[in-house]
Amino acid sequence: MPTREQVRSQIEAGVGYEEAGRRLGVPAGQAYLIATGVPADGSGSLTPEQLARPGFIRGGVQELLGVAHHNPSEHPLVEGFVRARVEADEPMRAAARARGVPDHAR
Amino acid sequence: MSRRQPGWPLLRQLSGPDRLGRGAAVASPRTRSLRARTASADRVVKSVCPYCAVGCGQNVYVSAGRVTQIEGDPDSPVSRGRLCPKGSATLQLTTGPSRVRQVLHRRPHASEWEPISLDAALDMVADRVIESRRKGWEWEAGGKRVRRSMGLASLGGATLDNEENYLIKKLFSALGVVQVENQARICHSSTVVGLGTSFGRGGATTFPADLQNADCIVIQGSNMAEAHPVAYQWVVEAKAKGAVVVHVDPRFSRTSALADLYVPLRAGTDIAFLGGIINYVLAEGKWFEEYVKAYTNASTIIREDYTDTEDLGGVFSGFDPETRRYLPGSWQYEGTTVNAASGARDQFHRAEPGGEGDRAGGASPQRDETLQHPRCVFQILRRHYARYTPELVEQVCGVPQASFRRVCEAVTDNSNRERTTAFVYAVGWTQHTVGVQFIRAASILQLLLGNIGRPGGGIAAMRGHASIQGSSDIPTLFDLLPGYIPMPHAHRHETLRDFVDADSTTRGYWAHLDAYLVSLLKAWWGPVAMPDNDFCFDYLPRITGSHSTYDTVVEQLEGRCKGYFLFGENPAVGSANTRLQRLGMANLDWLVVRDFSLIESATWWKDGPEIESGELTTEEIGTEVFFFPAAAHTEKAGSFTNTQRLLQWHHQAVEPEGDCRSDLWFVYHLGRRIREKLAGSTDEMDRPLLDLTWDYPTEGRLDEPVAEAVLAEINGWDAAGRPLSSYTEFAPDGSTVCGCWIYCGVYAGGVNRATRRIPHLQQDRTGSQWGWAWPANRRLLYNRASADPAGEPWSERKAYVWWDDQERRWVGHDTPDFVVDRPPDYQPGEGSTGPDGLSGSEPFVVQDDGRGWLFAPTGVVDGPLPTHYEPQESPFTNPLHVGHERNPARRLYPRPGNHLAADPASPGAAVFPYVLTTYRLTEHFTSGGMSRHSPYLSELQPALAVELSPELAAERGLANGGWATIVSPRGAIEARVLVTERMTPLTVQGRRVHQVGLPYHFGPNGLVTGDAVNELTSITLDPNAHIQEVKALVVDVRPGRRPRGPALRRMVEDYQRRAGVTAETGTAV
Repeated sequence: MPTREQVRSQIEAGVGYEEAGRRLGVPAGQAYLIATGVPADGSGSLTPEQLARPGFIRGGVQELLGVAHHNPSEHPLVEGFVRARVEADEPMRAAARARGVPDHAR
Repeated sequence: MSRRQPGWPLLRQLSGPDRLGRGAAVASPRTRSLRARTASADRVVKSVCPYCAVGCGQNVYVSAGRVTQIEGDPDSPVSRGRLCPKGSATLQLTTGPSRVRQVLHRRPHASEWEPISLDAALDMVADRVIESRRKGWEWEAGGKRVRRSMGLASLGGATLDNEENYLIKKLFSALGVVQVENQARICHSSTVVGLGTSFGRGGATTFPADLQNADCIVIQGSNMAEAHPVAYQWVVEAKAKGAVVVHVDPRFSRTSALADLYVPLRAGTDIAFLGGIINYVLAEGKWFEEYVKAYTNASTIIREDYTDTEDLGGVFSGFDPETRRYLPGSWQYEGTTVNAASGARDQFHRAEPGGEGDRAGGASPQRDETLQHPRCVFQILRRHYARYTPELVEQVCGVPQASFRRVCEAVTDNSNRERTTAFVYAVGWTQHTVGVQFIRAASILQLLLGNIGRPGGGIAAMRGHASIQGSSDIPTLFDLLPGYIPMPHAHRHETLRDFVDADSTTRGYWAHLDAYLVSLLKAWWGPVAMPDNDFCFDYLPRITGSHSTYDTVVEQLEGRCKGYFLFGENPAVGSANTRLQRLGMANLDWLVVRDFSLIESATWWKDGPEIESGELTTEEIGTEVFFFPAAAHTEKAGSFTNTQRLLQWHHQAVEPEGDCRSDLWFVYHLGRRIREKLAGSTDEMDRPLLDLTWDYPTEGRLDEPVAEAVLAEINGWDAAGRPLSSYTEFAPDGSTVCGCWIYCGVYAGGVNRATRRIPHLQQDRTGSQWGWAWPANRRLLYNRASADPAGEPWSERKAYVWWDDQERRWVGHDTPDFVVDRPPDYQPGEGSTGPDGLSGSEPFVVQDDGRGWLFAPTGVVDGPLPTHYEPQESPFTNPLHVGHERNPARRLYPRPGNHLAADPASPGAAVFPYVLTTYRLTEHFTSGGMSRHSPYLSELQPALAVELSPELAAERGLANGGWATIVSPRGAIEARVLVTERMTPLTVQGRRVHQVGLPYHFGPNGLVTGDAVNELTSITLDPNAHIQEVKALVVDVRPGRRPRGPALRRMVEDYQRRAGVTAETGTAV
């Protein structure tokens, strides 16, 4: 098992936890735990001292667990849906033109 | 290991390298085979807990197409990774043994379920809808055009996604169905009116994480630690920083245990208590003078013909004892009229009794800035609360004067420029015949103390379902359209212009009601909605009074409503007077239940209490019942809106199994089938349905509608197809589309901002980059009030937003709740309207006068000021208003089965001597439809127990752990006895009163069962919100189990006889 000093020296050299873990033969999340004493899955409350530890990352370390996160912010079908609604609504586009604002360009 | 390990752990310890037995030696083969869910998961999906309204973030781990674990998301600024027992047990909502995955059908008069294909069942339901709609169709009612059907109704759901509620409201409105309701009616409908009329928006003014900035927190009408446990961490944070925590509640709970000051009071007397604090503040001069003068309507002069309850023996001017309604004209401002931002907003329409015109007056209110005019709000307030002394509080509430004074001191010592106090409440305030007025009282107090719009201040309305805020905002409610636009009432020859004139304001953002409404109509009817047809305004069905869920039950009992949908709601346990709920359903032609498991509302016809008692016989019940299994939150995508108005997206982790489908799928495909069946119809009745935009894209094997497309419609777009960013971009000319104006911005830029998940440790104090809060992602509402009229923070310690004279804009820690570049010294020009009609120092930007309303001149139908009235059922008379003991405007439903207790002064009152209050347990959830089918949660709370004091136990011969029967004028249930000092007997009006408590989660179905507490409650409603009074009623408690069979009704009838109770008892004004 790598020591805290071994992991921290990697981090201080500018190597990320994924690469540090690979070099030391442990999962990235375990490297983070060794370096900081804080689990990468976020379990447990954090003390002010833990927040100040060398190598601690303020949030977003769950990716070190190596599991793909699923959180898309767009959907490929939405734009076409909206466009079809607009194209079908000539009165809406006419109202926009009357007001001098852009309408859907054909 | 190079050699085979011996099987015995001790031998492994002694023979291997782990000599201290700390690790490898004690690992069993099973332990060694376990893999961390993080190692075995294919992906982790971001989600949100589907239980209460705190909205704890969840990580859903998926492996090989199955959900393997659900944990808290540590990055969430709402929950910081924590989950309560319910949230921790949500895996079983997906994987639990009680889930049904097959559609079931009960033929009329059948004794058992039969499986049926999903396709056949959906088609049958579509046919039933068409038929019942037609049979119940009304073009007119009372000579007024209504264009609606009273033949069917819908209930649910606060546990549904916003997108699902949107489609329900959209489809059912197009069908002409007005009886559309959900749990928001029975939980927090009082909040919409109470906070909405006071400040402009009917939602929490603050967010739970801001409680850590409070110097004092008063939790009243709430057991926050047990009902919203994860949010309570912020109270603990505040306490760690030195805040004083006060808990005022009939029952000592875990919230009380962490409070600095616990004050027991009699259930239902909170207006007397809060009114006492108001009087203390005014009498002692503790009000925040500069704030009150600048930001409230304290200086506004009221009409000369206004008369207060203090002068009319308990009623305000305008009360008609025949109709039990108020004509509120005399409450208005002198010289002008203003419209409310919430509540009753059509009161001044010319077609209404007492209606005085078409539109809010427009002239500026008359004011006396010295606050000395006898008819200014401030002086009216003083006189109104002058009798709410500590002595009265003790007499009414049972709170010793010393305790009361300590609360007053804690609150006032911590409310000034440097310090702020927050109030937290829940249904302990809302569920009363004066529920709205409870909230108004707190609103008045917080305005007087200058706590609204300031960090660590405000009022946190703690709502109770995952998206009950959403189901109010995008309302499956009869009296609202999306964004709190009123549902139009039937009036003669009403046009869109008539409606806008009656319901908009002159100033503030409600002045643009026309733009919001036209954009909604364009969303619903697209190209058919044009100026020359009033944008299909006539397509909207009209209401003609209350069509609340309780009115629907009456419609069912009287045979007019024949079809019913239940979307994740369980009225056979969760609604007041569950016996009438079931009898109503027994009168239906058909019933559709959508849920995870066979809840009581699905099975009452074969195993409900009326079957057990013999009152009903299964074979004689003609109701056809369909059970459609629902998808869990992990099996569908959509948004929840939590109690702090925050939209958070939950993604689909796995597809639902079997016949399970989302409600989005159900409503969309039901609508599609109905439209197909009616295609080509030339009946004018069908035009709204056939012209409806109902073309959402679908995807996947199950043809699931794309929820993001629905959200995009809710957000809105312009004529170029660009998603709108703000409701300030709307126009009333039909060139913009928006399904819900207050949600505009959630899909700005084509990005679903409800998915934002920037970790809280990387963010500012408001967590503004997590999810999206309405309006415009503001977290603290009315935050202009955190600065003084000149734009400077009241103090550096409480700086929140302020005017930056260099940048010429408002800046600070949150999105300013103000026109961002409007200077503090701005004065509106003559005739200015909308937001431009408010000055640079009027923070309540949705109100017609820009002010917080100490006095509500309109919007609240039972009085402009909260007044103490006794609950409908009370052992005590009202010392303030003899002759008007109770709210004279409360809504009553006198009928067999809804008997009310005798007046406290009558001999029969002694038959029901104890006060019952109801509450939640942490480990269960509302009517138990989700939690009682969860093995984990059922194990934690396996039985219904009645909590009562040792004194009462001795008085009635009740043994701890034994059985008790609890009897009300309506029903009787049994429960285990829990003798505890947590229930404190009180001294009220010189005599001892005992209060008993019951959690309301239990019912006869599930892994753990018990009687439904709502067998005891009545349908008696607040007149504003149509919410039931279930937090204070009277009962008897006797040892032993209740009778079975016909003996149960005989016992209840015997109690009624002894108490002298008839259907008319308790109905006096």
